[in-house]
Amino acid sequence: MKARLSLTPPLIALILAVLLFFAGGLINPDFVNPAQATNIVRLAAFLGIIAAGQTLVIISGGEGIDLSVGAVVTMGAILTFRLTGGDNNLIWLGLLASCAAGIVIGVINGLGVALLRIPPLVMTLGMTGVVQGTILVLTQGEMIGATPSLMREWIANPLVLGIPGVIFIWAIVGIGMWILLERTTYGKRLFAIGVNRTVARFSGVRVQWIVVLTYMLSGLLAGFGGFILLGFSQTVFLQLGNNYLFPSIAAVVVGGTLLSGGKGSYWGTMSGALVLTLIDSLLRAAGLEQAYQLIVFGVILLLLIVVYGRQRSLRQ
Amino acid sequence: MALTLSARSLVKRYGGVIALRDGSLDIQSGEVVALVGANGSGKSTLSKIITGAVVPNGGQLLLDGTPIQFPNPQAARKRGIAVVYQELSLIPDMTIAENIWLAHEPLRFGLAVHRGALRDRTKALLSLFAGTISPDLTPDTPVTALPPDERQVVEILKAISSDPRLIILDEATASLDTNQVNRLFELVKTWKAAGKAVIIITHRMEEIFRVADRATVLRSGESVGTVTLADTDEKTIVSMMIEGAITPEQIRIPTTALESHVRLDVKRLSGGRLHDVSFALHDGELLGLGGLQGQGQVDLLLALFGLIPHSGEMILNGKPVHFRHAADAMKQQVAYVPGDRGSEGLLLIRSILENMQLPSWSKYGAVHNRKAARKDALTSAADLQMVYASLDDPVSSLSGGNAQKVVIGKWLLRQPKLLLLGDPTKGVDVGAKGEFYALLRQLTEAGTAILFYSSDDSELLGLCSRVLVFHEGSIRAELSGENLTRANLVAASMGTAHERH
Amino acid sequence: MNAIRTRLQRFFSRQTYVISLILLIVVVAINYSFQNNLFELRIINNNLRTMMPLMILAVGQAIVVIGGGVDLSVGTMVSMINTLLVTWITPESTGGDIALAFALACGIGILGGALNGFSVAFLRLQPIVTTYATSFIFSGVALLVLPRPGGSLPRDLVTFYRSTPLDIPLAFYVIGILILFWILLRSTRYAQYLFAIGSSSDAAYSTGVPVRMVRVSTYVWSGLFAALAAVALTLSTGSGQANIGDDMTLNSVVAVVLGGIALRGGGGNVIGEVIGVIILGVIRNIIFFAEVPTWSQTLVNALVILAALAAPGVIRLFRRIIKR
Repeated sequence: MKARLSLTPPLIALILAVLLFFAGGLINPDFVNPAQATNIVRLAAFLGIIAAGQTLVIISGGEGIDLSVGAVVTMGAILTFRLTGGDNNLIWLGLLASCAAGIVIGVINGLGVALLRIPPLVMTLGMTGVVQGTILVLTQGEMIGATPSLMREWIANPLVLGIPGVIFIWAIVGIGMWILLERTTYGKRLFAIGVNRTVARFSGVRVQWIVVLTYMLSGLLAGFGGFILLGFSQTVFLQLGNNYLFPSIAAVVVGGTLLSGGKGSYWGTMSGALVLTLIDSLLRAAGLEQAYQLIVFGVILLLLIVVYGRQRSLRQ
Repeated sequence: MALTLSARSLVKRYGGVIALRDGSLDIQSGEVVALVGANGSGKSTLSKIITGAVVPNGGQLLLDGTPIQFPNPQAARKRGIAVVYQELSLIPDMTIAENIWLAHEPLRFGLAVHRGALRDRTKALLSLFAGTISPDLTPDTPVTALPPDERQVVEILKAISSDPRLIILDEATASLDTNQVNRLFELVKTWKAAGKAVIIITHRMEEIFRVADRATVLRSGESVGTVTLADTDEKTIVSMMIEGAITPEQIRIPTTALESHVRLDVKRLSGGRLHDVSFALHDGELLGLGGLQGQGQVDLLLALFGLIPHSGEMILNGKPVHFRHAADAMKQQVAYVPGDRGSEGLLLIRSILENMQLPSWSKYGAVHNRKAARKDALTSAADLQMVYASLDDPVSSLSGGNAQKVVIGKWLLRQPKLLLLGDPTKGVDVGAKGEFYALLRQLTEAGTAILFYSSDDSELLGLCSRVLVFHEGSIRAELSGENLTRANLVAASMGTAHERH
Repeated sequence: MNAIRTRLQRFFSRQTYVISLILLIVVVAINYSFQNNLFELRIINNNLRTMMPLMILAVGQAIVVIGGGVDLSVGTMVSMINTLLVTWITPESTGGDIALAFALACGIGILGGALNGFSVAFLRLQPIVTTYATSFIFSGVALLVLPRPGGSLPRDLVTFYRSTPLDIPLAFYVIGILILFWILLRSTRYAQYLFAIGSSSDAAYSTGVPVRMVRVSTYVWSGLFAALAAVALTLSTGSGQANIGDDMTLNSVVAVVLGGIALRGGGGNVIGEVIGVIILGVIRNIIFFAEVPTWSQTLVNALVILAALAAPGVIRLFRRIIKR
């Protein structure tokens, strides 16, 4: 196999991340140092893990998008917070519960999209409300619980060689996602349904089944992301995951995954997560407020759609 | 207003393929001209140029004596040329009246749609077909509620609503019942008397003789002549359609039908356009499916592969089966190669390797043994003499013939016992066709049963020892031995032969 | 028998809101059982007044959906225009100032809609993601204009919004105007184009309908109605907040679906949309008066919304199963 180095979107994103990092030095000389670099990667890791499921959903095509990830992240964190009550011996329960909740939500999303043919965006937006409502019912507005101390040590704090655990977890997720996309039958079928569902069906792929599975994985990964995020945030609140929703989509698209589906990679999303975390840090370092961040995000997304998301013309 | 239209040596190329080489036609007011030709003769391309749907690469179109080129269908309509499509152009959610008058509604105060006038004029138009359509039809009936024949009637009314000078009926009778066809032809006669010109394209030979004054015959993209129908007969037209075509001998690769094991036995299969189709296919046989395009051949292949709902019996290798999904069919070693590579056969932006292995990935383990998958694909590509740079290149970088090899290769990797081919050589160059024919022979010699639909009659004549000719969803004729001649094939596809044995 | 069936089919395909109307009667009856003073003028006025902004907003959404698209930026557009209105209008503003502010608001709505429409029709971008992207821009502008909630309006303006001219709630006038607008619009050739592109843009194109211009116009309508909804919302709340209308996006889509307008496009009308909004409002009333525990209200509301979105798909699924 010949390794050919060409400027693919993921590579461009990675180069952009490095450039942004050093550009940060121009704004603030303290920005460029190993500790800061580690911190950026640490922050990007949370986004990257949360965006993993989004990558799968967007690759699946058919206007696939999962707007419920933010709420699922919050759900996962709150479940862990509450069920463990800060007890290190109950961490497994928190992990299990947050992942299970994600799976249930993901399956409902998938069934709505695949079987009831509700547009994914509308379905997952509707599901967001249901998840938020469920959180309110579960908590009755009171955030009772605590974060097990081990989670902080394993996830947020430096674990080995000054590198926080979450970065290792991200690396494992990265390898897992690579195997899933490039080395499994599911991955190959996922790309196939993303490119052309007729071709996939004509080749024996059960399209609806793959769609349900994909939304399920997205829910699972978001739930897991909520569990991980708790190790960093230490506390929970109703809007915890919301801040990750838009970046999760943007990271996928910046990483070169086609919004129309069928082409993309998780390592692109990882680069995208780095880029977005850096943009965010830079905007903060430059003292820009949230309003500008929103506008910048909106414009970036619009440009990305212009570049990647055109539809066929009426005249053929 | 009188009209004369003449097409002079029109040419249309799609990429390297010439669809129309020398399309010529003359018609004037008060005339009915039939446009006749076998598959691929260019008759639909010629009619599309006249209606402005296709822009020609050469030649001239003269309207009322002056050269003209229509940029789009609206431009042609403005000059009084209207076409009745066989593929419907109706808006499903709108009513009959709204559809007929869309974009030229009668207005009140120059702004509001004049519903009263809309209704009255639609009623007047519907009355043209009174007695042949349901009496319940009103101008306010939504089009979705209509069966195909009545939709086609609305389509006809829509075309004549603008009072055109030239009406083109492109397979407009295909979904009409006998009474409706009769009424349409009465109307054609009144239009003719009123000084309109009519061009009719149909796959039914008898219709041509019923209404047309003259017939212009196309063959391999060329107008080969125009005959006055009063002085001629069906035989003459059929011989004009086939004369001098590429001889089947040029591609003849004898495949002998072995009277061996019955691989597939189909009884009274219906579904899609299919109606009560029965036949048997043996191991090592290359059974041809012929007829004009869109007569149910593709639906047969889709039904056999579990891609469209169907009823009837299907006995595969002695066992009755009913496939609901392609995956079911694949488990029984059935493979289907679709004709439209771009939209049905290939994932254009994915690699050659992924395309070839798409149906087979699951046999390479939970975590794929990539080396084995690559090795198998390489072997298959070499067997097919595929020309490519790397298996990791996107399949869109391949030429038509090599892309076709990927579509076939991905199924050969599964070593199918029953291979369904849906017009596989469309848009493939001559050299690649030759290789493909050799491959078919290899496969049949190895015992594969092949169902081969081709829109190229020469292929069927040269490759198959038995051909089923489809006409309007059922098998019109089964030709083999001495009966398997081009004349019989063309006659049966125009619905004139009635034997089935 | 067959004739009756086709007649029924015809009736339901034209009067898409009949089922919505039945649903409305049912939910109003349920509401009445919890709240006996439901039909008092004061209560009607209060109820309809809170529904008015969404009712106006969803007219635009209905037009976009009928034309085969969807506009997910309407809520944030309401927020943006709301923040602008409260910065332009102060308690001391004169009638002229206020009129100018309303006119400017409409202009901005039209511009925002034109941005959406241009992107969808001329750049051929998917409506869902495109309007989702522009919603961030509108959100950002809103936050820029009004970082902190605030603002207050002239007293008269707020009183006017609560008024009942000739003893008829203001909302009735608004509903009347919206329906009249729809009847007038529906009578034009433009409306034929609108339904045609929503049902089958390919067939419409081949028949000579200016598909792209009509598509742009649907989003312009949507922007204009978002501006009008923002005016209503501002009068209703009397203040501004940068995310005040964000939730209205999904609600406008749900109201349209509840009003019998299919998300695939090509059918429906504004009367159905108005009914859809009232159904939503009444359901919220029921949740409140049925003493659903406070913390469960969001969930119940969300489940109702999800059920409404899922209903057409569930019906289709059942039909397919029965056919087999």
